[in-house]
Parts: sequence; C-alpha cells; structure tokens
Amino acid sequence: MNFLLQKVPRFVLVIVVLVVFGLIRSPIEDHIRDRLVKANLLLPPPGKTAMEQMSQSALIGTLGGLRSLVSTYLVLEAFQHFSDKNWDELHRTYNIITSLEPNDETNWVSFIWHIGINATANMQVDESLPQFERDRRFKEYAFEGIEIGERAMEQLPDSVKIKTQLAEIYRVKLDDKCAVAKLYGEVRDLDGAPAYADRFYGYFLAECPGREREAYEHLIELYHENEQNHLPSLIATVKDLEKTLEIPLIQRIPDPYPDIPGRPPK
Amino acid sequence: MSEEIAERKLRAPAKAVKSFSLLRVWTIATSTVTQLVRMKTFYFLLAFAVVVIAAGNFNIPSTPAKELSMIKKVSFGSMDLFAWLFAIVSTALLIPRDLEDRTLYTILSKPVRRIEYLLGKLCGVLVVVGVSLLAMWAICSLVIFSRESLYVADEMALIQEDGRYGAEEVEAQIALIREQGLRPELGFAVLASFFKAAVIASVTIFISTFASSSLFTIITSVLVFLIGHAHSMAANFWLQETENNLFVQLLLKLFKILIPNFQIFSFSEGIVQGEAVVAALVGQMGALTVGYIVVFLFLSLLTFVDKEF
Repeated sequence: MNFLLQKVPRFVLVIVVLVVFGLIRSPIEDHIRDRLVKANLLLPPPGKTAMEQMSQSALIGTLGGLRSLVSTYLVLEAFQHFSDKNWDELHRTYNIITSLEPNDETNWVSFIWHIGINATANMQVDESLPQFERDRRFKEYAFEGIEIGERAMEQLPDSVKIKTQLAEIYRVKLDDKCAVAKLYGEVRDLDGAPAYADRFYGYFLAECPGREREAYEHLIELYHENEQNHLPSLIATVKDLEKTLEIPLIQRIPDPYPDIPGRPPK
Repeated sequence: MSEEIAERKLRAPAKAVKSFSLLRVWTIATSTVTQLVRMKTFYFLLAFAVVVIAAGNFNIPSTPAKELSMIKKVSFGSMDLFAWLFAIVSTALLIPRDLEDRTLYTILSKPVRRIEYLLGKLCGVLVVVGVSLLAMWAICSLVIFSRESLYVADEMALIQEDGRYGAEEVEAQIALIREQGLRPELGFAVLASFFKAAVIASVTIFISTFASSSLFTIITSVLVFLIGHAHSMAANFWLQETENNLFVQLLLKLFKILIPNFQIFSFSEGIVQGEAVVAALVGQMGALTVGYIVVFLFLSLLTFVDKEF
C-alpha cells in the first residue's frame, strides 16, 4: 500500500478506484433500478416531449430529483389555467404532469375531467366565440378527452376511476351509450369496482342499438340475484326492455313501473 | 516514595496507540454535532414547517384524498430537498472551518488517525441529517394527521347528512382518505431520503479533501448531484436526439461509471404515492449506501492521508 501511495500519483489511484467501483456498481444499480421501476417505487424517465415542453425551472427541478414537487407545483399552475379557462395551456401543463408522474391516477382523472368535461362545457356557454367555432371546439375537446383517457388506460389499465371518468365523456358529451356500456363492462371486472358498475353496464347496454337482448339477460340476472338489486332504475329498464323485446307476459317481472323523477310515467 | 513513583511514571514507555478507535470517531462525531448545532443549522426546520403548513392550506377544489396526496408530495419532496442540500452544505463547511479555526491542527497533532477524523466528521453530519429528518417527519406527520382527521370528520358528517349510503360505502369512502393519510410505510420514504443524503455527504467529504474552498465544494457537489440524478433521464433524451451517436454513448457510459446514480435513491416518491414497500429492495439500497460511504471515505483518505496543512 505504502509503495503504491509513494509511486503512483494520487489522482491516478482515485480515478482507478472510482472506475473499478463504477464498473462493479453499474450492473447492480441497473438491476435494482429495474426492480424499483417494476415495483412502481421509482418513476420511469419522463418522455422526450414532456422534457421539451417543460419550463427551465421545472426541468431543473425534475432533473434534480424533485419530480413530485415540480408536478405538484404544475397542478397548482394548471388550476390557475382552469380558473382562467385557458384550456390549451391546461392541456400542455397536464401533459407534463402526467409524463412526470405517469402512475398517479388522480392526475389522469383530473386531466380527462378538465378537457373532456370542463373545456367542452365551457364551449357550450362561451358566447365570445361564434357558434360554429364553439361547436367545433366542443368536439375537439371531447375527442381530446377521449384520447387522454385512452392514454391513461394504456398506462393504468386496472384503474376504475379512469374508465368511469372516460365513460362520463361518452355519456354526457357524445351520447355514445355503446361506448359507455363497453367501459362499464370493463370496470365491473376490476378490483375495487363500485357496486353500481354492474347495473350501469346493463342500463347503458339497454340503450345501445342491437344489444337490448344482451342487456335484458344481464339485468334480469341481477334482478333475480338478490332483492337489493330491485332498484327503481333497474326495474324501469327491465320493464322497458320487456316491452321492446316483447317478452311473454308470464316471464315478465311482477313489479309495477316505478315512479322515477325525470322519467315520464308509464 | 511519591517522588519515586512520579519518576517511574515519567520514564514509562508511551502506551501504544490503537490504530483505530471507535471512541475517537465518536468524540469527533459529537463535537461535529455540537459545531453544526452552534451554526444554527436547525433553523431551516422553521422554513420546512412553513412549507408544510402552506401545502396543507392549498385551497384548490379537490377530493380529500387528492389534497392529502398533495400535502404528502410537497412535504416529502421538501424533506428530500432539505436533507440533501443540508448534507452538502454542512459537510462542505466542516473541514475548511476546522482549518480556519485551527482546530484541525490540534486534532491531528493528537494520536488521531486521519480516517478517524474523516469518519467522525461524516458520522456527525449524518447524525444531524438524521435528527433533522426525524424532526421534519414529526412536523409532517402532525400536519397530515390533523388534515386526515379533519377530512374524515367532514366526510362522515356529509355522508350522514345525505343518509343514502350504507355502512360498506361509508367504510370505502373513509378508506380512500386513509390510504392517502399517515401510514407507517412513510417511514421508509424518510429512510430513502437519509440514504440519498448519506451518499451525497460522503461524496462531498471526498471533494472537500482536495477543494480549495467551501464554495467550490458546494458547487461541485451540487453539480455532481444534479448530474447523478439527471443521468438516466438525460441519457434517453440525448441518445434519441443524436440517434445513438457513439461518442455520446461513450460519454454517457463514462458519466455512469464515475458519478453516483442518485436517481435510484428517489424511491421515496413511489412510497409517498402509496405504493407497497418491498423490504428486500430497501435492504439492497441500504447496502448500496454503505458501499458508497466506504468507497468515498477511502477516496477521501487517499487524498487526505498525507496532506500537509
């Protein structure tokens, strides 16, 4: 050791130790990193587009290991854009947020909600724009919301909240009941699915042209499953389907047509 | 008679000095803690408390679970930031301060090995960083717990007022809030920040053994930290930009070998977001941290062992 210390310049020794240590630790670190990413404890690097869109301070913060802090700051900034109804800036900001924290479900849900629900709602009432432009932007935002929802589902395929939020755009903004039924159909198979998902699947399937029979079979199965399912909406939908599908009287459910606010009495 | 004894004592050969003593390391470590406390370093906890309380009062329309998640992200993000920044600054100040105060000459003229001095200094910094992290965790826990209790009470009141929901639905709603509330797993997030701070402190002590000033040490350490953190993120970006240019690949490999990978120490972010902790991985990260400390202490010793003051 003394010989080495006397004969070899110190910086050479330092470099050698650093290189040897680097060569030993690199594969170990790569292995640990992969396992941490798999366990969702470590976030994968943000995409190229996100890095290009980030402001200088956000980029430095992100590179400095402050991704959560930067993303929280950006959520606050996005809220400001929401208050100002600046939808394009909000879209850009949430693009960065979701790239920084792709595993955070709440960010994706907010992104879909803002663009698919709030931006479209704003286009319905924003009188500063001509009607044609409002209609065009309404569609644009609705489809952007759907595109965001699909990206979110690719990232978090088992998220109940993302699917139900996306279903809301199809239901409220595009009136596409078949798509809503498809999403609730997927939701009911997921862990943590709400109890209503099974019923909603049937309700929306009943409104999807050509799938009434399937909806009837599903809802009647729920009806017979237990009495807790004898809810006014379920009974009303089953009774409507019995009529549409001309189910023999003997096979029809005995309940009277319920009085549901918002539905015309039958 | 007593004169005889005194003479014998004077003539007695000096006791052999142990080549390494944990007691000497501990003495230096405790004096380092005192030194750092006298520098009023704990005042930064006030700034941290302000950040956490401010985070607890962001009034954006959101669900209680999301608000709790936001408070946690800001608190633990700031905790991580304060920990590594504190580790760099305090370590960078120690050796130059000892030189300036001339305490270094007094210490090294005693039978204290240089490795004991370096290890003692590092241990002192780590004790202070550890205590600071625990204090920050306590502040943070207090804020999260109070907000969580408030949200649960509010939510219960709302649900009871509505009266349409069964016990199962109430339980599910409360579980949603509790999931983002104060959980014991968050302790591992604090440990992750400590690992990161320990590695950067050992790198900083190495830099300070050959640096000409504290400022140089701080700037260089921060740069090393940023490069070590950004390396894997920037690597993807540059490789795409330059279409996998060979020179860029070599440069990136060189950085990867020479500069510690700080990015993998950011696993606290996943824990804060509610992911399950894998104990084996935490153990491996602990072992890696020890590896970094040993190597960088050895490197520090290489440059410090026969340095003339």
